[in-house]
Amino acid sequence: MVDATTLIRATLLGLQLGMTLALVAAGLTLIFGMLDVINFAHGALYMLGAYFGVTVATELGSFWLALVIAPLLVAVVGGAIEILSLRPLYGRNPLYHILLTFGIAIMTQGLVVEIWGAQSLRIQVPDALSGTLTYGSLSYPVYWMFVLAVSTVLIGAIWLAISRSDIGIIIRASAHDTEMVDALGFDVSRVFTGVVVFGAALAGVAGVLLGASRSVNPGMGFGVIIQAFVIVVIGGLGSFRGAVFSALLIGLVTAYGALIAPSLTDLFMFALMAVVLIIKPSGLFGATEAA
Amino acid sequence: MVENYKCVIDYDLCMTPKRSTTKGGQRDASQPSTTTSRRRFLLSSGVAGTAAALGGCLGGITGSDDGTLTVGYVLPFSGTYSLLGESIVNGFELFLDQNDGQIAGREVETVQSDTEADTDRGVSVTRQMLVDEGADVLVGPVSSAVAIAMMQTVENEASAIWLNANAGDYRVVKEGCLKYHFRTSFNDWQTSAPLAPWVYDNVADNVVLAYADYAFGQNSKNFFAEAFEEAGGEVVGEVGVPLGSDDYSPYLGEIEDSGADAVFSFFAGSDAVNYVSQFSDFGLDDKMTQTGSGFLLSEDTLPAQGEAALGKYSILHYTPTKQNDRNQEFVENYMSEHDSRPNVYAVQGYDSAQAFNAAVDDVDGTDPDDLADSLSGMEIDSPRGSFQFHPETNDPIQDMDIRQVVESDGEVPVENEVVETLERPELPTWGCSL
Repeated sequence: MVDATTLIRATLLGLQLGMTLALVAAGLTLIFGMLDVINFAHGALYMLGAYFGVTVATELGSFWLALVIAPLLVAVVGGAIEILSLRPLYGRNPLYHILLTFGIAIMTQGLVVEIWGAQSLRIQVPDALSGTLTYGSLSYPVYWMFVLAVSTVLIGAIWLAISRSDIGIIIRASAHDTEMVDALGFDVSRVFTGVVVFGAALAGVAGVLLGASRSVNPGMGFGVIIQAFVIVVIGGLGSFRGAVFSALLIGLVTAYGALIAPSLTDLFMFALMAVVLIIKPSGLFGATEAA
Repeated sequence: MVENYKCVIDYDLCMTPKRSTTKGGQRDASQPSTTTSRRRFLLSSGVAGTAAALGGCLGGITGSDDGTLTVGYVLPFSGTYSLLGESIVNGFELFLDQNDGQIAGREVETVQSDTEADTDRGVSVTRQMLVDEGADVLVGPVSSAVAIAMMQTVENEASAIWLNANAGDYRVVKEGCLKYHFRTSFNDWQTSAPLAPWVYDNVADNVVLAYADYAFGQNSKNFFAEAFEEAGGEVVGEVGVPLGSDDYSPYLGEIEDSGADAVFSFFAGSDAVNYVSQFSDFGLDDKMTQTGSGFLLSEDTLPAQGEAALGKYSILHYTPTKQNDRNQEFVENYMSEHDSRPNVYAVQGYDSAQAFNAAVDDVDGTDPDDLADSLSGMEIDSPRGSFQFHPETNDPIQDMDIRQVVESDGEVPVENEVVETLERPELPTWGCSL
């Protein structure tokens, strides 16, 4: 029943899902790692990326400009959220942050309905990327390959930056021991803002990329945040490596799951999370001492 | 599960009913101070589920003794279906605005409370409207699951007429067969089966079925399959997709592998946007002809689907581009108040107001049994073309349009063009004979 073509197509979808989810989950896990904030508003930032993308693409008539401008706008929103609302609450009970970011997510959803309306929208795929690649009996949209390529390159670049660059060292160090980094003379509050802005921009990129292959609607933020949380929990809270690895895992499970039992794909995802939590409560790549 | 998540979020926001009274065309949203405390009371009684017991003594406070008609919207105003709820209200209130805010010469008070897409909420809102608000008419719901859950309450209270402005599940007639229930919308047989012989004659003699895997999608594909086989065609496969899927790639593979010449689909809202655009992205347009229930390609999805929708066929009871005077006047009036063209839901809301107006006018009162007698078999002059309430099931006997998506020279990139109108296809009654 399941032939090679089907398998290849499912694998491509799984990788694409994984890489785009990794863009969202990376920000989520970095923000948690450094700020100890569980950012429920991260899905809303992803959604804003898609909506900004729709507006820029329609008004300026260019998908490419949308792909650059929309994430920058989302980054500004992310920065504003960190400076105006998260910052005054650092050091308090984490529940404050959960309530705050949850509230921001709901407000953003309401604003989106007010501004753009409740009906589904979509970013039009540019002509250069429309069409289908055909190889034998396998056909796959050019744009979907583009999404896979762009998100893979981005994730690869971030990986290098975090593991090799000076900023990456500070980020990893801050995630490990904020006070020590502060004591060594680095302005940790600027690093905090930077991480939120960067995480927001990544979510925005994912929003624009997927906004051209899926419908853009006010419910999309909550849909993605659940998957992103599962990914972060499986990968280990705060671990970038873990987020990328488990995003790919969840992407492939979702894609293959749809071939086996479409109605159970969510169940597969949560079952996987349960199994990981039972065997390794801190997640696959989580630091045990952080738990 | 995403749906449940949303319910939790919106729960508190939607417990409070909003009311507005229209007087002489002016909508007066100011609320008398007495209602404030009562509203709070409603909130707690609704949650405890004791509204029925306590409501009896409250009914007298507003009631409809002073001749004011109370319209209770049992509609979703948040979540997936919020657009549909708002459109129905827009349609209903367009009629009110055109008639100095009156129905059959009487003042009208509208009360709304969010049902979301939740059956429990739907039942408690229904009870709230009937018992606490003393509604003379219920307008809604959108979701068929909510409609089926409401049936018992409406029958027990027997205090209002129920104008079902959307929920199309045939089981509301088959299992409910309520005297007070009148569909101003459609049933799921109408938006699937009559298309089958047309597809067989004009498109292909074999199809694959693709549908959102929930009651409405399953009903639609079953009705289509039955009618298609009866016409002499062959159904070569079927693909059910979980409601709310984002990526259709695995299912499109199955559809393609079926080797069928045509596909019949039921998807709606953002599912329809995802399915239709990905169908086109994967190059399936070159391999098979897409046909479907009208919700697949309608006013609320076409702007997002864009060119991906071109050439695809669907069946529905309303098409905004339909060329008749009644419709063109309606479209103009609607567009002067709202930025967009009326969708099918707005027409269903508008026709609910028309039907209620005609019935109250006819019996000069609000007794639900008299209203039901009056509505049974009544003809309504709708923008969709006139329709009649079936004397035995109270479903609308109406023309069905077969449409094809074409390029448009207007503001929207693409629009539906009526290819053929099927004149009042004969409806099944599913054993209901009122």
